[in-house]
Order: sequence, then structure tokens, then C-alpha cells
Amino acid sequence: MEKIKQNPIVKKIGFNRIVLCGVLILMYILFSVTSKGFAGLPRILSALNYAYFLGFLALGVTFVIATGGIDFSIGPVMFCAALIAGYCLTGHGLPTAVCLIISILVGFLFGCFNGYLVAYWTVPPFIVSMASMNIAKGLASVFTKTQSVSWPQAAEAAGWFRKFVKVGSFPVGLVIFLVAAVICSLILNNTKVGRYILSLGSNKEAVRLSGVNVKKWEMLAYVICGILVGIAAIFFVGAYTTVQPGYGDQYNNEAIAGCVMGGTSMAGGLASIGGTVIGVFIISLLQEGILALGINKNYQLIITGLIVIIAVYADVVARRRKN
Amino acid sequence: MGEVILTMKDIDKSFPGVHALDHVNFEVKRGEVHALMGENGAGKSTLMKVLTGIYTKDSGTITFEGKETEFHNTREAQDAGVVIVHQELNMLGHLTVAQNIFIGREFKKGIKIDDKKMNEEAKKLFEKLHIDIDPTETMSNLTVGKQQMCEIAKAISHEAKVIIFDEPSAALTEAEIEELFKIIRDLREQNLGIVYISHRMDEIKVITDRVTVMRDGTYVGTLITNECTKDDIINMMVGRVIYEDPKTESTVPADAPVVLKVDHLNAGRMVQDVSFELRKGEILGFSGLMGAGRTETARAIFGADPKESGDIYINGEKVTINSPQDAVKCGIGYLSEDRKRYGIVVQKTVAENSTMACLQNFMSGIFINKKAEKKKAQEYVESLATKTPSVDQLVVNLSGGNQQKVVIAKWLINDCDILIFDEPTRGIDVGAKNEIYKLMNKLASEGKAIIMISSEMTEILRMSDRIVVMCEGRKTGEVRIEEATQEVIMNMATREIG
Amino acid sequence: MKKKSSIFTSQKFIVLLVVIVLFAFFSIISENFRQYSTIMSILDYSYYIVLMAIGVTFPLITGGVDLSIGTGLICYSLAGGYLITQKGMPVAVGLLVTILLGILIGLLNGVLVSIMDLPPFLTTLCTCMITRGLGSIFSKGFGISWPAAGADGGWFRSIFKITTANGTKIPIGFLWMLIIVAIMAFVLNHTKMGRYTIAIGSNKEATRLSGVNVKFYHVMAYVISGFFAALAAVAYSAVFATVQPGTGAGFELEAIGGAIIGGVSATGGAGSIEGSLIGVFVICLLKTGLPYIGLQANWQQIITGLVLIGAVMVDIIKKKRAEVH
Repeated sequence: MEKIKQNPIVKKIGFNRIVLCGVLILMYILFSVTSKGFAGLPRILSALNYAYFLGFLALGVTFVIATGGIDFSIGPVMFCAALIAGYCLTGHGLPTAVCLIISILVGFLFGCFNGYLVAYWTVPPFIVSMASMNIAKGLASVFTKTQSVSWPQAAEAAGWFRKFVKVGSFPVGLVIFLVAAVICSLILNNTKVGRYILSLGSNKEAVRLSGVNVKKWEMLAYVICGILVGIAAIFFVGAYTTVQPGYGDQYNNEAIAGCVMGGTSMAGGLASIGGTVIGVFIISLLQEGILALGINKNYQLIITGLIVIIAVYADVVARRRKN
Repeated sequence: MGEVILTMKDIDKSFPGVHALDHVNFEVKRGEVHALMGENGAGKSTLMKVLTGIYTKDSGTITFEGKETEFHNTREAQDAGVVIVHQELNMLGHLTVAQNIFIGREFKKGIKIDDKKMNEEAKKLFEKLHIDIDPTETMSNLTVGKQQMCEIAKAISHEAKVIIFDEPSAALTEAEIEELFKIIRDLREQNLGIVYISHRMDEIKVITDRVTVMRDGTYVGTLITNECTKDDIINMMVGRVIYEDPKTESTVPADAPVVLKVDHLNAGRMVQDVSFELRKGEILGFSGLMGAGRTETARAIFGADPKESGDIYINGEKVTINSPQDAVKCGIGYLSEDRKRYGIVVQKTVAENSTMACLQNFMSGIFINKKAEKKKAQEYVESLATKTPSVDQLVVNLSGGNQQKVVIAKWLINDCDILIFDEPTRGIDVGAKNEIYKLMNKLASEGKAIIMISSEMTEILRMSDRIVVMCEGRKTGEVRIEEATQEVIMNMATREIG
Repeated sequence: MKKKSSIFTSQKFIVLLVVIVLFAFFSIISENFRQYSTIMSILDYSYYIVLMAIGVTFPLITGGVDLSIGTGLICYSLAGGYLITQKGMPVAVGLLVTILLGILIGLLNGVLVSIMDLPPFLTTLCTCMITRGLGSIFSKGFGISWPAAGADGGWFRSIFKITTANGTKIPIGFLWMLIIVAIMAFVLNHTKMGRYTIAIGSNKEATRLSGVNVKFYHVMAYVISGFFAALAAVAYSAVFATVQPGTGAGFELEAIGGAIIGGVSATGGAGSIEGSLIGVFVICLLKTGLPYIGLQANWQQIITGLVLIGAVMVDIIKKKRAEVH
């Protein structure tokens, strides 16, 4: 096979990601030009609020897609975690710290449920997702007695967790998110967990025949996803206050879109945390820009849908060429 | 026997690195059953694939019913009356027998598919062929043998003039084979030309009129079945000059300890009551034709597939192996047949593939010590002379031979004492082959015990200290290298009744 | 497709038993459940799910899935309804537009999955988003009410329910369901369309090698799904007073879940229209009945999810057992 000589900088960062950064910058310029007052800190902070929770969702689902599977219960599970933990806070009066842990725990448990069924029972991931999605929605409604939940404001004593999102104008959330992304990247590329997850996504049987317990590692991918979804919930309520039961679906698609756009392959085995991060920023900025321009939010839905189709098609074509 | 209906002349076909067919001649007459024989890789299947349009020939002519023809796909061949019954079943398990047979050409009453008529026609077809199968039965509910009968019936229902059977009796019971022969005799009576690809000597003797033998992609000759002996055929199949020196004697001491003992292993139809021993420092060759059960035996020992019964002893102690994990812990390594599907992880580098079986040895706390990993991988790249720009190269970019070396490195790094190589040099060029042979000898001399499954006679004779021969799931023979010849091995590898 | 084993062990029959048992259970426990109005209620709310399930059975049997049917039905209904209420077009035109839109989206799905070879679940997830956005755009964000039963264009509602002179309501829609099920079961079992749908799900490559135009039939499976999502839109508009944009997500679970509970294999190749019908009624019974025993409607979501998993696991266990023999 002919190897093309590559510019070392391009090779390190990846051609794909450079293109994405370019897209991000272009978008920002476009919005700044077409919408008065777009350029500037407030808009960026607003877009970032969206990016935090979406980013954690996308980080989580990256692990699952890396194994060649899919999880679109992430949106509803995030809401379920936010609602259950929130209800514990407002309805049962538990301390904030405990509720944050509860949120992560809910995500963790759903991750275990999903992972167990997919890895040990070979139930097709999309069915597990569908069922999980509905169980999450139902569970949340039951727990909160179908009420919506509002987490405490920053000024209140229990509202200290909002410092995770921002302190004054400083986007603490961004720092936390980027650190988390780095940790995820380290896990994926430098630990046994990540090595096995990516390998089994590429060629499950070859890994099994190398003496590795593939079932365990496949389930772990879903568990990691669940934990990250639980964290996403914290950032969601940190940025926006109220959570209502019954919603959450749209975020699935956007998280997966961010992933696939960033270079993670739907077929498994190939994942890019950096790409996912940039993909999430692009979607968040798109969100913000559409809001600023007063374009109907529904156009954003349509655009995101089209973007994912194009991204997946590009992935399919690239794989076909490789074969 | 009537006149010639099909002639293939000077057929030549090459694939990258392989000259699969070298000026091959073959002809079929009406009303004859013509056997096509040869070892694995002799070119029989390739020749038939060229005929039926699955492959395109590079040169040569095909004459069918007096006219020069070339079929571009199976549909064209089918429409002309040349039909092949494949070895691997191509069926739709969720549909019924009749629906399978008539898929794509259903009988219709207006918009409605006339299943009733299809069942009747299928029934008629089965009656004509004396097959006892219910056309309304769901295909996946049938035994493999009956499914094969349906494939045969489907092929015949195409108003064929020439039918090619590729290893038809592989999945059939004795009774079903009798039925098959009756069908074939009927077809012969109806003046069809029949090609019968098989390695079973007894069947060849019973049902065929002529035998054509191929070897290494070339046409060796055609004999009249009644006028030749099994030895004549075997001679034609193997009678090559072996340029490399076969091993004349084994250097493994007679009292070498038994490292692996397999006792009465049973794992389905392909592994029936297999027992053998493997000694330290020895290379045990596993010979046999395709479908003999050698890979299945290896996978059962390695825990890759479940087994029904049997015991495995390592260094005298009984061990429980229910998964590849167990096997690897016992020090067994398995290099599978299909490198791309079961051997390498395509998206990973040479270094990452090399440590796949023992990653726990390269950890620093919770992180992978990539430096140590690369260093170790580099060591083996050098000692195995693996051609790669660096250990960071994606393994999918290497050539076949070098990919194989990476897989070998994986098991060596894991320090396995027992290595099972399944077709280690398949698809690898001559230069790389020799390197792998050298490597295997070195490993054996260092005290490793090696099982080498191979379909190449030269390889078996060159490398093995002892040879185990399998045929259709059973071990049919064992011979020391001093007493092994091609004929002896082939005799054991082909079934014989009486 | 006839199974050699007795009809009494077939999944369809077992699920039918489950429906009867559930109905009996709720009737016994709750007096309020035992009203004629309850049955009317169950049937009314079942039509749109039944129609979705009939349609989505086809992509499921090919081994794929269509997740756009839920938001799709809302979109098609809003499009047609908008033309009627805002543009003053006759109801017939609105119905036509609804149905055409469904066929169009179905065609889009089919082309993406069959010809461009994209993975079905992600692709239809995208068209799900797209139809959700489109629906809201068509209706300019407002809910739309198709003409009421007594009003000028309300004749289409009587397709599903007739109110007699003395006020009794007759669920004639159920009759239509049975007829449609019979027709589509015929299509699945006795026409080339159905036969090749099953063949594609069983072994796409072998079917292709047999000379069947698999691309065409694969696309058609999704067109059928889109068409029935549109019919479901009509049923939904006829039963519910208002159609709200942004809803619809979650309908597909009830339809797909119903189909799988009724015997459609998650991996393709097997399934029946009658089974899908019965499976949907399990879900509808749970949805309607649980509140009568004090469980909020949200428990229905949880239970539906668990029942779906259970049904698939039973399917997997059956397959594993078959492999051993």
C-alpha cells in the first residue's frame, strides 16, 4: 500500500481535526458578521453552557461507539439522573454533595444495565437503548411524581455546585470539561481499558482469541458511558435550572453527531476524543448562533440531522475505500 | 457416454502472487460423471468458478454445446444450463424448502405467489429424485444433510445440462449418499454432464466414469475410473518433485517429555474421538484435506469453541480449558487460519498487536508502558525480520507475511510453551515462508512444542518430526517422519471403505 | 411461513394469551376498567400504534429499523392539518398531502439505507430529527386541530368511530384494522414484496445471487413503513383533538416494541403482521390498564421497556437452544 508522506504537524493533530477547527472558526466569524453583538464573551459563555453537558454525553457515547455499539438512552438517562438527584435535594432535603453522587450513581446503574445486556446477553444495542430510554423516562416520572425539578440557584447555600460551571465570568466548566476530556483520552489511548475497548471494536474475535475476556471490557464501555452521563446531568442543571420529565431525546442525536463528526467511526475501533470535543463545540456554537439569528430552532434539528447523515456517509465511504 | 458437451482449453488464471490455473484442460461428455480431483489448492474450485462466471479467465477458451462461450455471472451460466452446487450452503433459513428452491422465479397467480403450486412442483422434483423432504418445512429446521439435498434439487430444477457438485457428500449421512448416487445415476441416464469434485476414493470408484487430476494449478491427466487404481490417482495428485529437502529424520530424543496430551476429544461432527500427544521440542504436523477437522480440533483444544467431552493434560496435569483465556493462562498460543479475521486487530499498530495476549506485563500502574511495549515489539521485529517502517505502523498496512510475523510475535512475547500454527504460511511469498520455517525450527530447538496444521504436503514433510493425519473429524493415522511419504499421508487423508 | 410445530406454541398464540390474561386481570381488579368506555378508549388509542407497527414490521424483517415513524407521523399530520386549517384546503387534500409526505420520507429512508448503505438506526434517527424540525416549521410552532367530528370537514373522523343516533359509539376503526392486517399479512406471506423482504432479512447476499433486485425491495420496505406512518398520522388526527409539534418521540418504541413482542425477530428474517397487532395490544393494555390499579402512566414506560427486553431475551435463549441441537 502506498504511504503518502505527511506533514508531521498534520499527522500529529490529524487532518480531520484541523478541518473541524477551521469549520468552528469559520462559523464563529459567520455568526459574528450576520448577528449584531454576537462577538463577545456573553455568547461564548452561553454556547459553553450547552457544550458542557453535551460534551460529557458525547465523551460517554464515544466509548460505546468505540466498541462498535450504540447508546441512545444517554439523553433520557441524563434527565433521569438530574430529576432523581434533584428530587432528593428539593423533596427529601439531602445535602447537595450527596445528590451529586446520586446523579452519577443513576448514570452508573443504567450503564451497568445496558452493558450487561449487550455484552453478556448479546441483545442488539439499539433494542437495549430503546428499552433503557423508556425505563429512564418512566423511572424519572415515577420518582418525582411527574413534577419538574428545579435545582437551587447560585446564591443559595445549596447552590455551590454551580461553581463547577462558572465563577463570576470565568468558565470553570470549560476547564473541568477539558480536563475530563484529557482523562478520557488517556484512558482510551493509554490504559488497558481503552486498549481493549478499541481493539474489540475493531475485531472482537481476534481479541477473544488472544485470551482476553471481551465481555467484561465491552460492558465496561457502557458503564463508563453511564458515569459520564451522570456527570453530564450535573452540568445540565448547573447551567439551566429546571429539568422536566419526559424530554431528553434531542441530545442523543447531537451527542452522537459530535462524536461521528469528530472522526469516531460507527463501525468501532477508531475513536477520537479531541475530535468529539471539537464536534461538540461546533454543535453548541451552531445552537447559539441559530438562537442569536432568531432562526427557528427547528432548522437546527434539521441541520443536525443532515450533518450526521453526511458524517456517517463519509465514514462509510472511507471504510469502503480502505477495503 | 455421449458426445462432448463442454470443453475448457488452456485456461489460465492468476491472482496477485498466485498462478492459480496454468493452461488447464478439462472436458465433460453428455451422460458421464467426471470426477475432478486434487489436493487443497490444486485449482479445482477455481476452475469451476471460472466456468460459472464467478471469476474471469485470463486466457483460454470455453466451448459449450459446440459454441465458444463465456459466462459473466452465475445467472448467465444458470440460464444456459450450467449449474453448480456449492460446498457452502447459500440458503435462506427463514423460508421454506419450496420457497428457497424457487426464489427469484416464483409461480404467480396474478399478484399472489402460488405457494401451493410451488409446493407441488417441489414435491414432484423430490419424487423424481427420490428425496424424502417436506417442501413446506422451514429450511433452518432441516439437518445440514437435508439442506444440501435441497441445494442439489434447486440446482437440478434449473433444467441443467451440466451440473457441478463441489464436495457434495461432505455433510451427508450414508443413507443420504446412497440417495445422492441414485439421483446422479438418473441424471446421467438423462444425458446430463456431471462434474463431481471430491476427495473420497471410494465414491469416485463407485459413481464416476472418468477422473481428471489437477496439481498445483496444472492439469495432470485424465484416467478411466474402471481402468485405474487408487494408487494411480494418488500418484497423479502428489507426484511432484520436491525441491526442498524433506526432513529425513527427527532430532527430537525418544524420551522427550510429553508436554500436551489430548484424550478422546469430541466437539461435534468435525472432532470425533481425537487423541494424540505432543512432546517437548517437537513439531507435530497435522495433515489432511479441507474439512478434515484439524482447525476445529485446534480451536477445541484452545477453548475457542465449546467441546462435548475429552481431557487435556499439560505436562502430565489435567487442565480445564473452557475459553481462550484459560488456554493462554496454560501457556498455549493459537495462530488462526484466517489472519485478517481472527489474528490481527486492524486499527492497531504493530506494537499494540504484539502485546495483545499479555498486556498485563506492560503496565505501569494503571497506564500502559508504551515505551516498554514498543521496545519489546522492536526486539521481535528484529529477531523475526519483520518488514515494517516502525512498530507504530498500523498492522493493516503490512504485507501478509509480515502480518503473520506480528501474530507470531504476539504469542512469543507471551512466552507460550505450546504453539498451534494453523496454516502459518498461507498466502505468503516464498522468501517469507522460509523465514517462518527457520523460526519454527529455532523455537523447537529452544524447547517449545509446536503443532503445525498445514494443507501443503511439502511443508508437512519438510518441517514435521511426526505427522498426524485427519479425515472427516477422525484421526486416521500417525506416522514418524522417517516413514512418511506423500503417498502414505494422502492414503490416510482420503477415505476408503473396504 | 408455516412452522411445523403446533400453532399453540407459536409466539403469536402465547402473546394472544398474554393479552387475554392482562385484560382479565385488569377487569377483575378494577370495576372502572370493566366499562364499555374503557374498551372504546383502548381501541381509540391503539389505531395509530397498530398502523405504525404494521408498517415498521417490514424494515424490521429486513434486519433494519425505522425510528422516524413517531416524529414522522406528527410531521405528516401537521403538514396536512396546516393546509386544511390555515390554507382552507379541503380535508381530502390534507389527507393526500399527509400520505404523500409519508411516502416521500419513506423513500428517503430507503435510499439512504439500501442504496447508500448507511446504518438503519442512525439514519432513521436523523430523519426522525429532520421530521421533528419539519413538523414544527410547517405548523409554525402551533398545535393544529383537524376539523372536529361535527364540523364541516370532520367526516374523516367517522372512518374510525361512528356515533349512533342514541349516542352509542361504535369503534368501526377496529374493523378497518383487522382488514388492513389481513391485507398486509397477505402481502407479507403471498406476494413478491413480502417474500423478498423476508429473504433479504434472512440472507441478503444469497437473495441477490438468486437474481432478485434486492435494492428495490429493500427500499420498498422503508416506503411501506413511511406510508403506514402517514396512515397512522390520519388515525392520530382523527382520534386526538390537537396535534402538537415536538411530540411523537417515543411512539416508535410502542410500535417497534409491539412488533418485537409479537414475534418479529430483532435480527431480521422472521415476523408476522398478526403478531405485531397482538403485540401492540399488550402495550396498549398496559398503558391503559395500569392507571386503574393505581400505577401512574409512567410505570407503563418502565414496564414496556422491561417487557421488550424480556421478549428479546426469550428470542435469544430460543436461538441458543436451537444452535445446540
